[in-house]
Parts: sequence; C-alpha cells; structure tokens
Amino acid sequence: MLLTSVLLILQETLEAALLISILAVLSLQNGYRMLWLIPGFMVGMVMALLYAENMETVSGWFEYVGQELTNASLQTAIALVLLPLAWMLGKAFEIGEKVSRDARTPRKSSWGVLCAMAVALAVTREGSEILVFLQGFLGQSDQARPVAIGSAIGFGIGLSVGLLLFYAQLPLRGPLTRWIPLVLLALYGGNMMSQATLHLIQADWLQSGPALWDSSAWLPEQSVTGRLLYALVGYESSPSAVQAVSYAVGTLAVVGAALAGRKYA
Amino acid sequence: MRGTQMMINGMRSGPRHSISTRLWSGLLLTIATKTLLAATPIIEIEIRDHLFIPSQVEIPADTKVKLVVKNLDPTPEEFESYELNREKVISGNSKAVIFIGPLPPGEYPFFGEFNPKTAQGKVVVN
Repeated sequence: MLLTSVLLILQETLEAALLISILAVLSLQNGYRMLWLIPGFMVGMVMALLYAENMETVSGWFEYVGQELTNASLQTAIALVLLPLAWMLGKAFEIGEKVSRDARTPRKSSWGVLCAMAVALAVTREGSEILVFLQGFLGQSDQARPVAIGSAIGFGIGLSVGLLLFYAQLPLRGPLTRWIPLVLLALYGGNMMSQATLHLIQADWLQSGPALWDSSAWLPEQSVTGRLLYALVGYESSPSAVQAVSYAVGTLAVVGAALAGRKYA
Repeated sequence: MRGTQMMINGMRSGPRHSISTRLWSGLLLTIATKTLLAATPIIEIEIRDHLFIPSQVEIPADTKVKLVVKNLDPTPEEFESYELNREKVISGNSKAVIFIGPLPPGEYPFFGEFNPKTAQGKVVVN
C-alpha cells in the first residue's frame, strides 16, 4: 500500500505542479507578482473537497457519466483560461523588447486572477482523486499508516519535481529561450484538450476511431518515462485521431493567442 | 453481351418491384440493422475484496461495449487501463459505467489503481 500511495499521489501531484511551475516562471519573467498561488491553491482544495465528498452523486449524473463530463469541463476550462494568459504574454514579450527591462509591463490584476483560476481548476481535478483515495483508506486501521507515509512521500516528490521544473525554467531569459515556458504552457493546453476529449469518448458522447498509432512496444505508458511524459505532456501510446486533433487544437490555440497578443501589443 | 441480356431477362422473369419499393426496403433494412447495432452490449463486473469478478471478460471485435462496474467494497477503487485508455474513480458501494471499444482483437489488461496488487483483470477482444 505504501508504494501504491507514493505512485498515486505523485502522479496526481505532478500535473498541477507542472502548471504552477510554468505560471510561476512566466510571472517572474514578465514582472507579474505571484499573489495568485496561495488563493488559487486554497480555492482548488475547497472545490476538490466538495467534488470528492459528492463523487458518488456526481458519478450518477447523465446515466452514470457525470464524472467524465465534470472532468472534461474542468479540463476544457483550464485550456480556455490559458488563452487570455497567452495573449497577455505575447503582449508582454513585445513590450519587453521595446522598453527597458525594469519597465516591462504594467502589473495587471487580471493576470493574477487568471493564474489563480487555472491553478484552482487543476487542483480541483487532481486533488479530488487524491482525497477520494485518502478518505477511503486512511479510515482503514491496518492501512492508515502506509497510506499516510506513502502519500507524504508522493506529495514530497511531486513538490520537489515542481520546484526542479521551476528552477530549470528560471534562467530562460534569452531572446529565444524565454519562449520555452510558453511552449510548455501550450503543450499543457493541448494535454488538457486531449484528456477532455478522452473523457467524452469514455462517456460515449464522442465516437472514437481506431488508434492513430501504437507506440506501447517501445515506450509503454506504464513505464516510469511513460508516466512522467503522460503527466508532463499528455503522452498516450495509442491515441485516437480525435484525441490527437484536440491536442493539436489546444496547443495551437495557446500559441495563436500569444502571437495575436504580440501583434496587437 | 449475350450474358448481360440473359441477366436482364432473368431479372425480368422474377417478381417485379418498382425501384422505389427496392429503395424503401433497402432503407428500412439499413435502419433496422443500425438499430440492432446501436443496442450496445452490456458487460457487468463486480469488485469484491479488491478483486475484479470476473477477472476476464470477452467482447466482440469492432463493437462498442458498456462496462458496468459495481464496487461492492466499502472502499473506493479506480478502474484504470493503459491499453484501453480508460480511468475512472468508483466510490465504495456504488456503480460506474465505462464505455470501451470498438477495438481490434487482442488482450487489454485493466487494474484497480488503489489496489493494484490484487485488482487485476483483462478484456479479451475476439
């Protein structure tokens, strides 16, 4: 149960940790303050608690596909919130090139609100699964200890990976390399759209075609690399065409919003 | 040429149906077939003592199937399969619906992410 808890909590923490690290780097690079982090996280935890408490009710909605529809909505909402953020980044980049480093961009509260929303939505989605697991197994006298220890280790590793990602992106301030966090944000948007599509297929609201490719032989999803890539860029070893298309749309939409923001700065 | 003429004669000698009758019957047949196909097969699986019962289910190839998973344990479980691309939390003492397929023939393992050591199963498509 110890190892199960470590892997489970780590996997769920990674995705949110990645988003927070990207948004934190982008905030610092473009002169925005980081006031969004704690409120976003707290709101997310409250919403996750509500979702976890009502998981059974939500699952029963729409002939037992309520969970899929809720998750797809949360993920689509994250992808949509990333668009105005990318637009503002495009603007900030353009202004940053013209004016001096100190007076780059005005501090806008809308940036903070959007970041807080994205974090809250991501924490709701990932946190609810963690809470369902903890609520279910912490109450079991024989498993409480390994579950508690395993979860703490998993959360600790997830947090460390998040910090590592943050510090890895922080020096990216050159004319070309500073676009890297934005590209990561775009891939995150694609990942959200692809996962939302998968939930709709699972709910039978969308039809799935045959798998577009199958790379499970050389990079299985259940391998450590596969799991890491799944959390970071939404790696699937056998995605359907509709999933691949939604990934591309989600990614290109963020890039497009940034380019549009840059053009109309 | 002679063969074609014989075929036309042969067709004429059979019962006569207007083109519209043939079209209508064809259309009705298509609708009937689609309606029959639309009735998605249902497969039921139970979770008891962190085990999937049955642990192996067989489904036809290229057919969408509705999996109904009943969790009879008081603890929650997460149905997960990398091969099927499926993931769903199932609260304790509740049921879940998961649509899978259409799939090509093969074996598709699934497991319970909260109890991966015991909760193992597979979908066999043939």
